[in-house]
Amino acid sequence: MSVAVARQRRASVQETGLRYGPVVLAAVVFALPLFWVLVTSLKKQSEYNSSPVVIVPPEPQWVNYQLAVTLADFWRFAGNSLVLSGAYALIVVFVSALVGYGFARHRAPGRNQLFILVLALLIVPTFVQFVPQFVLFARLGLTNTYWPWILWALGGSPFAIFLFRQFFASFPRELDDAAEVDGAGPLRIFFQIYLPNAGPAIAATGIFMFLWPWGDYLYPSLLLHQENTTLAVRMASAYSDPHGNPWQTVTMAGVVLYVLPLILLFAFAQRFIIRGIVTTGIKG
Amino acid sequence: MAGATHVLPRAWPRPATWRRRGFRRALTFYLLISPWLIGFVLLGALPLAGAFAMSLTNYDGLNLDYIRFVGIDNYTRALGDTEAQHALGRTLLLMSAVVPVALIVQLGLALLVNQPIRGSNLFRTIFYLPSVIPVVAGAWVWKIFVDPTGGLLNAMIGTVAPDANIRWLIEYPTVVLALFTIWGAAGGGMVIFLAGLQGIPAEYREAAMIDGASRFQVNRYITLPLLTPVIFFNLVMGLIGGLQILVQPMLLTPGVLAMNPGVIPPLDNYLYVVHAYTEIFVKQLFGYGAALLWILFAVVLGLTLLLFKTSRRWVFYGVEP
Repeated sequence: MSVAVARQRRASVQETGLRYGPVVLAAVVFALPLFWVLVTSLKKQSEYNSSPVVIVPPEPQWVNYQLAVTLADFWRFAGNSLVLSGAYALIVVFVSALVGYGFARHRAPGRNQLFILVLALLIVPTFVQFVPQFVLFARLGLTNTYWPWILWALGGSPFAIFLFRQFFASFPRELDDAAEVDGAGPLRIFFQIYLPNAGPAIAATGIFMFLWPWGDYLYPSLLLHQENTTLAVRMASAYSDPHGNPWQTVTMAGVVLYVLPLILLFAFAQRFIIRGIVTTGIKG
Repeated sequence: MAGATHVLPRAWPRPATWRRRGFRRALTFYLLISPWLIGFVLLGALPLAGAFAMSLTNYDGLNLDYIRFVGIDNYTRALGDTEAQHALGRTLLLMSAVVPVALIVQLGLALLVNQPIRGSNLFRTIFYLPSVIPVVAGAWVWKIFVDPTGGLLNAMIGTVAPDANIRWLIEYPTVVLALFTIWGAAGGGMVIFLAGLQGIPAEYREAAMIDGASRFQVNRYITLPLLTPVIFFNLVMGLIGGLQILVQPMLLTPGVLAMNPGVIPPLDNYLYVVHAYTEIFVKQLFGYGAALLWILFAVVLGLTLLLFKTSRRWVFYGVEP
């Protein structure tokens, strides 16, 4: 009897190992580069350059974080990024929700063809569209301003429109009918019924739409100047010694500060994002 | 039949009130989507038409006054451009490695975190984190990780082969680029696979288990076929995104901190859009660059259509329950 119990226990240990082994291993592999950023950000530059490699610095150099903030004028560029990303996300989420509501709830000739067009545009390489836009923005004097992002936002995002359309399509139609009988117009129905009940979709798209300008490197590097650019561009080259060599330890501290808000935002809203994607589905 | 108005045959004389109502409905729809429609015309369709027109000229950003129509010269030149051929070859090579590996990683991670394990939320967060990390930060992460001086990768390799001091970004730039891309794409694909997995009714798997199928068999013969639409989706999106990679190879260029004009990645990482970017923003050849980008669009479109064509053979769209 005790042999049987022991065998069972051994089997369950094996089972647990099989279940947790691969996932823990994968997590270590994925986290390793990030772990290295964290420890590098706390080293002295001499420790970074020393051989053999120092794994964990004996005296963590928190001063690197202070240097990262002062040397790069961090808050100013963080402010630029915050304004740009916040304005973009706010506008694009609102517009996309409205357009998604239109596609989900209102019939008109050409609706389905237009919706296919929304999705088909996803396969046009973004650079093909950007190059003529760049010429246009330059001729209108909009380079070196945040106007390009505002204009992009006002047109909505295909990804967000699709998400909202799927989300709103699952709402019971009786709500509209009841509101319509009470004399509410389409905009009122949108503002009083659809938007207040779109929490998960707003959270999910809001985060994605905020992440894009915050993380994008290409467009600010082409459209903005050194002074009013975003943190993304600043982080590429803000920290070097007088000879132009990168100062890796302080750079890593800057990178941590740059990425941290995104990680916190994501950790906070993780369930919305996953639920948002699961409920809206991609089978369409 | 609710909403019978729209299924009436055209010839049927519709009462004027209905017609007016239909018109009002259509107007409402077009007003609601007008922001997108206006944006599409002004920032999508017109610029695209402009880009096409541009590709037929010698436009260099400044010569609007004496711009010249050159017909398909830019296209014939692009087809004979050995740098463009090299760049396209490197891009397709990179994609043929990255796309399948990324799919396997994404699906594997989704299967792992879909198990009833403790801390599955923590694991999901760890796997998703790289997708949240912006490209500049990601480039720094990998630069430091593979740095021969202070990097962890060589330190780990050093414990088994002390003399192998590999200068990754110079000797194997494409390997680093591929790892960076797969690492960054894993989380987004995983979440989509996870949504697909959760859409598979548990009874299917349970029924197979009761019939004595092993875990591998359940995954291979039940889960995998039901996931083929999601695999297809991730495959198409991965390919479309991957063919347009630009910033990553630029920022991984050794000795370079920013994507200033004139930065040229190592030859192995000289991808197609890098070439187009260089022709446009460094050499100011807007017309020629636009032609290069339209060729890229043709390649993307061709590959997408090819995938859709083959999808009929292997993508299983289950009957709706």
